[in-house]
Amino acid sequence: MIRILSRYIILFVLTLLVLAAMSFSLAYLFPGDVLTNLTGITAQNDIQRNALIKQFRLDSGYLVQFGYYLNELFAGNWGYSFISGLPLRDEIGLALPATIELASYAMLLAIVIGIPVGCYAGLRSYTPADYGINSASMVGYSFPVFWLALLFILVFSLELNIVPLSGRISLLFDIPDKTGFILLDILLADNIDRSLAFKDALQHLLLPTLAISTITTASMIRLTRRSVIDVLNRPYIAAARSRGLSRWQIFFRHILRNALLPILPLMAIQITTLITNAMIVETLFSWPGIGNWLIQAIYQRDYPALRVGMLAVASMVITLTILIDLFNRLIDPSREKYERATV
Amino acid sequence: MPMLDIKNLTLEIDNGTSRVKALDKVDLTVNSGEIRALVGESGSGKSLIVSAISGALPPQFHITADRMSWNGESLLSMSTEQRREIMRRDIAVVFQNPITAMDPSATLGEQLEESIPDELVKGKWFWQRRQSRRKSAISTVHKVGIKHHRHYLNAYPHQIPTDIGQKFMIAMALISQPKLLIADDPTRGMETTTKTQVLKLLTRLNQTRSLSILFISHDLLAISSMAHTMTVLYCGQSVESGRMKMLRKRPLHPYTKALLDSAPSFRKDLPPKSILPNMDGIIPSLKHVPIGCRLGPRCPRAQKDCVITPAVRRIHDHTYSCHFPLHMEKL
Repeated sequence: MIRILSRYIILFVLTLLVLAAMSFSLAYLFPGDVLTNLTGITAQNDIQRNALIKQFRLDSGYLVQFGYYLNELFAGNWGYSFISGLPLRDEIGLALPATIELASYAMLLAIVIGIPVGCYAGLRSYTPADYGINSASMVGYSFPVFWLALLFILVFSLELNIVPLSGRISLLFDIPDKTGFILLDILLADNIDRSLAFKDALQHLLLPTLAISTITTASMIRLTRRSVIDVLNRPYIAAARSRGLSRWQIFFRHILRNALLPILPLMAIQITTLITNAMIVETLFSWPGIGNWLIQAIYQRDYPALRVGMLAVASMVITLTILIDLFNRLIDPSREKYERATV
Repeated sequence: MPMLDIKNLTLEIDNGTSRVKALDKVDLTVNSGEIRALVGESGSGKSLIVSAISGALPPQFHITADRMSWNGESLLSMSTEQRREIMRRDIAVVFQNPITAMDPSATLGEQLEESIPDELVKGKWFWQRRQSRRKSAISTVHKVGIKHHRHYLNAYPHQIPTDIGQKFMIAMALISQPKLLIADDPTRGMETTTKTQVLKLLTRLNQTRSLSILFISHDLLAISSMAHTMTVLYCGQSVESGRMKMLRKRPLHPYTKALLDSAPSFRKDLPPKSILPNMDGIIPSLKHVPIGCRLGPRCPRAQKDCVITPAVRRIHDHTYSCHFPLHMEKL
């Protein structure tokens, strides 16, 4: 157990180190002054410039610079934005939870809908019901997410006018930022009508969540269906049938667990797609998340913001992937004890 | 009256364009308290018969039979629920490959305990019932010759050796106290001592509990030591069936004779360094089954009439289907 854990921790640390190295090298790769790219501060005169060079060890070798860079990352000094001049850590601290919130609701929806529907289609494989579900999920899977989001806006916001167009919550509510997750913040906030604010936030959440989760749900249905069909053809299901177990007993004791175990690592792969989609959808709905923030940074050539933003998103994806793989390892009895950890 | 009575069982496989008869009018009966052996080469359809009886056939297999009954009740016309009840209480199956026939994500103990029918579990409350289940699991595991029950009941299928897995399959079959045990090659891949143990166990169960056994194997030595009656299958056709003694003494079908001759332990008259007699050719694949008697192309006694499927003929309780049987001049 400790060996497995330590393997995963080593893998995690090494991957993060490589990511940090890449993010550091971006300061050199981006056009413009290295010092400005690294700090986000444009030096006004030579004295300030020399002081900054000294502080960031730019007069020493690359390794020393990288060491100082890592040190600063851990200390929470991630540099300043060109545009707003604010510390990047605070900006990301606001934007990243918003994206995580959106993505996790979409994932939750995909799991709650996708797995039962996929199981149903798998159990009824090659019947009209299965064909219907399968083609619906194929259609859902083929929608480009940006087009779907625009369509939702057009139909539900502009034509039917039942949900708000953009943003996270109506400006009428003043929600103090505590956790970064809007629904939690509303529950923690004082002096507002919580149920009204909650309803408003849910209305804002509805369209972006639906737009992201359509694709994830569709792929979840397809994965589950395939896996259930595979398990149904295994000899142990025939053996369980010949032992006279009822259909429900077979499903819950033998099919479900064996079908879900191989899906879990595939879900980890879905997370990347999910977050990418979330970033696209955020831009369309003006959701104040990391995707929207990064797009703004790209438009404004905010190199320090791009450098740190990329590191933050990549670290989040790596963390989730490794955590899911570790979880899968812990619950799957058939996986080798000394199999190597992978991302 | 036989317990399991199968008459003219035909199994057709739909392969898209045409239908292939994987089993062609197979007759099989198992009487109460008898050990019947079912022998045949690989590919002769032995395991298909097992799946047909247990009802675990894929949907593209079409099954027809004049009679397929269990204690007088037709297995083909009864509801799925009734069939399930029979499989749960009366018939138990030991599958060929024990490791794949067990759920890889559940411990052996869990799988063993779920095979116990409810009426065999004592106690009113769930903890009493759980204890009772555990107890009968442990005693069954001991009965089939596994000593370290604590270790193996908590193990997963991939962690155990094949022979233990096979014994577990037998335990799983026996724990529901069935009337008929269908053993599909239960001694495959076992070394001789373990094999003897398993065979002894099956024989003992047959004698003490009068458990009927349908024993499917190609190990003639094992069969001849324990079986009372034998049915020989060739390429989906039942060629000869009768009491073990009769078949060994005077096989009527050329295939049975070839099968028995190919086992050196049955031949006392075999001179040293002589070539072991065998039948030329191999069993035809399902794509190219010959018409009429399927043994035709390989049979040393084949004649023109063999392109017509021979009818089943009967001498007392010895049935055979051959136009030109052996040893007829003596009878």
